[in-house]
Amino acid sequence: MNALKRYWWLILLAAIAVYPIIGKPSPYRSGLLIFAGIYIILAVGLDLLMGYTGQISVGHAAFFAVGAYTSGILTAKYGFSPAAAMGVGVVFSATLAFLTGRPVLALKEYYLAMATLAFNEIVVTLIIGFEGLTGGASGLRDIPPFTIFGFSLLNHLHYYYFVWIVVVLVIASSIAVVRSPFGRALIAIHSDEQAARSFGVDCAKYKTRAYMLAAVYASIAGSLFAHYMGFIAPDDFGILTSINLLVMLFLGGIGTIFGPALGALFLKLLPEVTYQFQDYELLINGVILIVVLVFFPRGLFGILTALKNKIVPRTGK
Amino acid sequence: MMEKNGHILTVSSVTKTFDGVRALDDVSFSVRSGDIKALIGPNGAGKTTLLNAVSGLNPPTTGTVLFEGRDVVGLRTDQIASLGMSRTFQLIRLFTINNATVLDNVLLGAHMYLKPTLLGTVFLRRKIKGQEREATSKAMDLLKLVGLEKEAHALPGSLSFGNQRLLELARALMTDPKMLLLDEPASGLNDAEVEDFTRLLMTIKQQGVTILIVEHNMKLVMNIADDIIVLDFGKKLAEGSPSAICANPDVIAAYLGVQSKECGVRE
Amino acid sequence: MSDISHLIQFLFSGITVGSVYALIAVSLVIVYKVSQLICFAQGEFFVFGALTMTTLVSKGVPVPLAFFLSIIIAMVLGALIQQVLIRPMKNASVGALIVMTIAISLALRGLALLIWGRESHVLPPFSQGEPIQVLGAALQLQILWIVGITAVVLFLIWFFFEKTPAGIAMRACAENPYGASLMGINTQKTTLFAWAWGSGIGALAGMAVAPMLFTQYTSGVMPMVKGFIAMSIGGLGSIIGSVIAGLLLGLVESYTIGLISSKFSDTIVFALLMAVLVFRPNGLFSRS
Repeated sequence: MNALKRYWWLILLAAIAVYPIIGKPSPYRSGLLIFAGIYIILAVGLDLLMGYTGQISVGHAAFFAVGAYTSGILTAKYGFSPAAAMGVGVVFSATLAFLTGRPVLALKEYYLAMATLAFNEIVVTLIIGFEGLTGGASGLRDIPPFTIFGFSLLNHLHYYYFVWIVVVLVIASSIAVVRSPFGRALIAIHSDEQAARSFGVDCAKYKTRAYMLAAVYASIAGSLFAHYMGFIAPDDFGILTSINLLVMLFLGGIGTIFGPALGALFLKLLPEVTYQFQDYELLINGVILIVVLVFFPRGLFGILTALKNKIVPRTGK
Repeated sequence: MMEKNGHILTVSSVTKTFDGVRALDDVSFSVRSGDIKALIGPNGAGKTTLLNAVSGLNPPTTGTVLFEGRDVVGLRTDQIASLGMSRTFQLIRLFTINNATVLDNVLLGAHMYLKPTLLGTVFLRRKIKGQEREATSKAMDLLKLVGLEKEAHALPGSLSFGNQRLLELARALMTDPKMLLLDEPASGLNDAEVEDFTRLLMTIKQQGVTILIVEHNMKLVMNIADDIIVLDFGKKLAEGSPSAICANPDVIAAYLGVQSKECGVRE
Repeated sequence: MSDISHLIQFLFSGITVGSVYALIAVSLVIVYKVSQLICFAQGEFFVFGALTMTTLVSKGVPVPLAFFLSIIIAMVLGALIQQVLIRPMKNASVGALIVMTIAISLALRGLALLIWGRESHVLPPFSQGEPIQVLGAALQLQILWIVGITAVVLFLIWFFFEKTPAGIAMRACAENPYGASLMGINTQKTTLFAWAWGSGIGALAGMAVAPMLFTQYTSGVMPMVKGFIAMSIGGLGSIIGSVIAGLLLGLVESYTIGLISSKFSDTIVFALLMAVLVFRPNGLFSRS
């Protein structure tokens, strides 16, 4: 039983790796899991910023957009290789986060929420506005599939593995960050900025770094998204998407890395269950979130952890 | 180390105004290196404001603060902390979110030595592991010093009030400070705890750390202070040795009145 | 149309949207002053007000009755939400509160979708008649209604908060809840009323402008966001500031669309918001 407790993540990894072979999913099914994976990357990055550093962002989709459109434009219109385009997107996102991070993250709570929301809108309206470059409101087409060393990831199963390898890397690196001295500084900032400062933590610098990391992950997710869809439109990157990310974070359990991942998975797969009640979907999402916020503030992951502790009791502390 | 006449801290004509109210009015004093200096006075006298002015949390409106000969007014709080100043807080400010443990709190004190970076965290894992081992070992030593080593993996919220104060102290010591600012660290402690605390402070002093301590517990102050400064209504009322302060009629009238029996209690 | 008539036309549309933004901003400020939180669900009251009145009118209910009924329904809804969902979360973190109001907005939007479907609905204007010609620009009669309603609401708010004991009590509650409760003011009831007011005014904004829009279940998002912008620019706790900022915002938007380009009007508006937040977070009009 103890082995199960310690190596559950390995079992999960194995399940992810083995699923396509055993489950033999259709392109639609694996597409769902690919979307889930992309949103997990988005959610985990945002959790580093919101759940650990305590900075609220209602505009994270802005960096999702930057990654997607950079990849899309560079590969579709300028013949860049997808890997290079993704790299450019990452650099672009990080720079944007660096430049806007300092002034914006100095703001508190509601002001910060508004500023990030405004930034999201600015990015989206600019994308719509410069239609010559981006295709405007009707979107950007003909984005080529991702290629690694000339090998084109057209097959849905290949892309599934590609995306989920990235997901695992993102989660692993996030956990490494969180459990490191760097992560400790972020948590201190979250808990009490002034106290953190009194022990040498340059809060502005670390908040900006966390923001940049979240932006980089979002950019990668955006590139993966663009190459999978082949077509992207501004609607996918607006405030509603940013709000959905917030829902994933709180639904899954903010500040736990795995919680938001679970939340993303849940929210992306839930429509499969509720699609028959398509018109009810929005209401159901809202109600589920309300119930979770009121009764399960630790989210789905909190529920799972509590269950796990009942089955495999903690050795007394 | 460029101190002024052996004074590690020199506060000159510090004034702090909030919305027209003078919380600190032309306060000047200095602290000799290696001393324990007590800052006493009635509630609202401006003691915490003074600590905040010195440590940078709320800089003075006018005046200078020389730390090791260098004017720190205008520097950020984290910069001043990096120069060797550390502190505890009157209203306990431990890190409690994200399941931060007692040990995590102390480890944060090592931040300015570890200087963690994102790239380092991802690519220099071996070096970081080594640093963490060292830091953890030192943190555990400090927890042993204050008697909390068994609680290392507990959450700060589960500690008793007195133990939380000790944790704050351990965290402050982790930075290897040259000077420690303590804000009412004994408030809420019972007599036995205060005795233990007194011994602890003397141990810290023996290691060469200068201490500026705000306290109401006059017995504690009389037992450990080399020097005392008294504040009242933001102004310096008196400064001097414990016996001189005890004999000072202004101080007795403004503050010590009830507690004058504590004066003269010196080990 | 000559240039002057263009400019006047932009003025009219600016005042129209500006009034809507002002009303929404005011409703947000009232709730913020009393509960210290920004209700992200405000846009849904905008939609509920408009669609409820549209449905009532289409079923033959006389316009004035439908008008007041819709306001009351929205007020009840707002009060219910405050009692059942917001009050228990008093001690939650700001992030959690923000997400709670977002969750409420999702649920309300979902409810609107169920009740009214995905189609757009149009409310007939409050009074029939041709637009008034002003130097070549057309002034729709509904605009007079919007401005008139806004003015009446603002007057009532001013009167309430300055002249009535209940309103003064509410202000006391906002400035100092503890002190207010010591003086016997029922802070819980006050908060309840504030939320009812807030949702009522939000609904009013939706209803007033509905005859000029196609309203559907998602119509509340943008007005809410613009209302926030007005509130932020005007100063989070300032009713007058929000009104001025709302009107200004409407005018800036209208003239930008008309004179510069419609593509980047939103960009400019949001960039303005960011600039205000970073450089003057207390708003352009607040006293500090």
